[in-house]
Amino acid sequence: VVQPPHDVRPLLRAAAPRARLLDSVAQLAGYDADGLGYKTFPPDLVVIPSDAEELASVVRVLHEAGVPICLRGAGTSLAGGPVAAQGGAIIHTSRLRAIREINTAGLWCELECGVTLSSLDEALKSSGLHYPPDPSSGPVCTIGGNVASNAGGAHCFRYGVTGNYVLGVEVVMLDGTLRRFGGPAGGRGPWREDWKRFMVGSEGTLGAFTRFWLRLTPRPEKAWTFRATFPDLPSTERAIHGLVRSPSYPVAIEMMDPASVSMVEKSPMAVGLPQDHFLLVVEIDGPAALVDARVESVAAILREAGSNDVQFSDDPVMRAGLFKARKAQGGLLGQVSPDFLVQDAVIPKRALAEVLALVYEEAEKAGLSAVTVMHAGDGNLHPNFLFDSRRPGDLEKVEAISARLMERVVAVGGTLSGEHGIGNDKSGYVGLVFGPDSMRMQKAVPRVFDRASQFNPLKVFPERRFAA
Amino acid sequence: VKVTALDHERLFEPFLDEVDGVLSIVSEATAAEVARLAEPHSLRFPLWLDPTQSLRANLAAGDHAPASSRFGPFCDNITGMNWELPDGRMVRVGERVVKSTTGYDLLRFLLGSGDRFGRARDYVLRLRPLCDRDGAFLLAGPERALEQAVAEILHGSFLHWLDSVDWMAGKDQAPQLRVGVHCPAAEWPVFADYLASLAAKHALNIYEMPGSELVADGLPDLALKTTPDQVIPLCRDLATRGEIRCTGLCYPGVVHVHLRNAADPAAAVAEIVHRTATRLEQAGGDWISRHAVRPAGNDEEGRWVQDLVAEWEAAA
Repeated sequence: VVQPPHDVRPLLRAAAPRARLLDSVAQLAGYDADGLGYKTFPPDLVVIPSDAEELASVVRVLHEAGVPICLRGAGTSLAGGPVAAQGGAIIHTSRLRAIREINTAGLWCELECGVTLSSLDEALKSSGLHYPPDPSSGPVCTIGGNVASNAGGAHCFRYGVTGNYVLGVEVVMLDGTLRRFGGPAGGRGPWREDWKRFMVGSEGTLGAFTRFWLRLTPRPEKAWTFRATFPDLPSTERAIHGLVRSPSYPVAIEMMDPASVSMVEKSPMAVGLPQDHFLLVVEIDGPAALVDARVESVAAILREAGSNDVQFSDDPVMRAGLFKARKAQGGLLGQVSPDFLVQDAVIPKRALAEVLALVYEEAEKAGLSAVTVMHAGDGNLHPNFLFDSRRPGDLEKVEAISARLMERVVAVGGTLSGEHGIGNDKSGYVGLVFGPDSMRMQKAVPRVFDRASQFNPLKVFPERRFAA
Repeated sequence: VKVTALDHERLFEPFLDEVDGVLSIVSEATAAEVARLAEPHSLRFPLWLDPTQSLRANLAAGDHAPASSRFGPFCDNITGMNWELPDGRMVRVGERVVKSTTGYDLLRFLLGSGDRFGRARDYVLRLRPLCDRDGAFLLAGPERALEQAVAEILHGSFLHWLDSVDWMAGKDQAPQLRVGVHCPAAEWPVFADYLASLAAKHALNIYEMPGSELVADGLPDLALKTTPDQVIPLCRDLATRGEIRCTGLCYPGVVHVHLRNAADPAAAVAEIVHRTATRLEQAGGDWISRHAVRPAGNDEEGRWVQDLVAEWEAAA
């Protein structure tokens, strides 16, 4: 039995006097969904603590009162992560946004969980350093959400995902105590085991993050952006395979399928691309002397694979133009369709044709549109199925397609998620990936820290239901 | 929507996928065997290993290796593995694709856990393009100037493209800087020019050493993890105190300690740990040694470990 959260309001006010409590219908409406707007899970209460100390007090009160606890940053997840799937309280971390230290000598920074990626990037500019992970929600998403979902982005082919940069995590455990795993040095600290490995990508199920220590790298001196169109999938694949094996080491290899290109070209963001072509956007970066020497070899790979339209530039304005179609794609989805479901599969790159064929076939059979983009270097495929959740049967259709897609993805050697996490959107598919013993090992992890599944219940594994 | 859950473990079979650049191989294989399989496909495992030891032995000696500067620790270069639990059951951990957020990160947790929860039987290694030039540049000269050169490299745009930036120090031995480079032959002069101008700026001597002449460091007896700015001070402190050779992996913030003629390596390691561990741990660092096992951090960690083991030991 879960306690009605309104009972805890006086306790929360006493324990965290500077925190904001939201409980009116209008206030809660902004918290009932993440980026997957068609699935709503209204919370009973939202708490916005003013600092880490209050956050810890809030967790302690909610724990003792038997209320489900869901942590939320900017709410840009695309997997049903920061939503109150079992009701209860959402703790919104928007006021924990201090960048506490940028240590240029040690190449690390310390910051609170509510800091946005764009504000971190701005703060780092004068230091000559940068933090490379770049999910497309970068202007608004928070580092807390990034760590919780182990976010990636276009440039992760070369630079790696969030987890490659997390040196340390401070976590409020279920009983309200603070624990620190790692720190500026990025090791285990006083612990024998490396518990922070479990924290990264844990989707709010193990504890409440308050601050992080992140590794920084020198900002690249120069970058070149390439844009090439391809008449068919085989030529696109030849280019991708050539690029990933190239010693020119592209930092990003982004693919758009013709439906995706067409969507952009029919919008005010059109850039004049042939609508029946595949598109690759490629970037290289590094010291000027090195990247300037690599330009021709990258262009040659694209041309030899079959592109007769390869454009490239090192001019920042031109580069933004070459990347424009890819950047516009995500924002346009919400404009061209009432709803969309995005998948996040990672596949062996050889299986691209087989998996794309399934996407197109299934979408056509269901009478729906599918537009696909891919972080092609990593094999991280994002098919977006466009539908209208108000039309009876549409949601069921896309969910049935998703199930068949995930079965195929796993059958070809891939996995369910590369950078979005599992949330409650993909939790039904985890049985495809883990055998009986490895499933037991997986489920043991949250049970160590939160046996009753009070933190973010019904996420990652559908059986993680909280019973007070 | 219902899917059919697996009723068996999907263990990795041996394979090499040259497009994805992944190789599944037994954990007892050596670096030479990895190279033999990878090189015909113009691929390489990028971390510098002790070629006489198995992959598993290399991992047990530390989380990092030279070339972690460019490619990260071992766990960033292994995408999956077959793991044998203490009771003999085999489970698959991780994936054959290079990116995954499916479930909790057991892969990295177990890779850093020694043999305490079982042992790796097979690894899926992430390979990288093999280029035709491989080698290192050695920089030597006044210690302060060498230190300034390191700081300049660590904050410069070339850092991403240098395999390793290693501070080499030992008792009664002037420190040297070893900068590893692996690139197409056409790009070698770009690196040579960059490092030559760096050496000239700081009045350092520079020597070019082809890959064929590089001598492997051997397995470290102790690996200390700190922040990048503390690597050189730590090397300096250690190298002046005992019969020790240190390799400081400057960007990863790791010091590999090689004992010289230690009659009792475990005691020598214990002595260094006694002197350094508290300082390291306060900064979120740690230590690993093939001669000693770290004790559990506290009672709470002991309980977590006990709970994990109990769950994992239970029949599926």
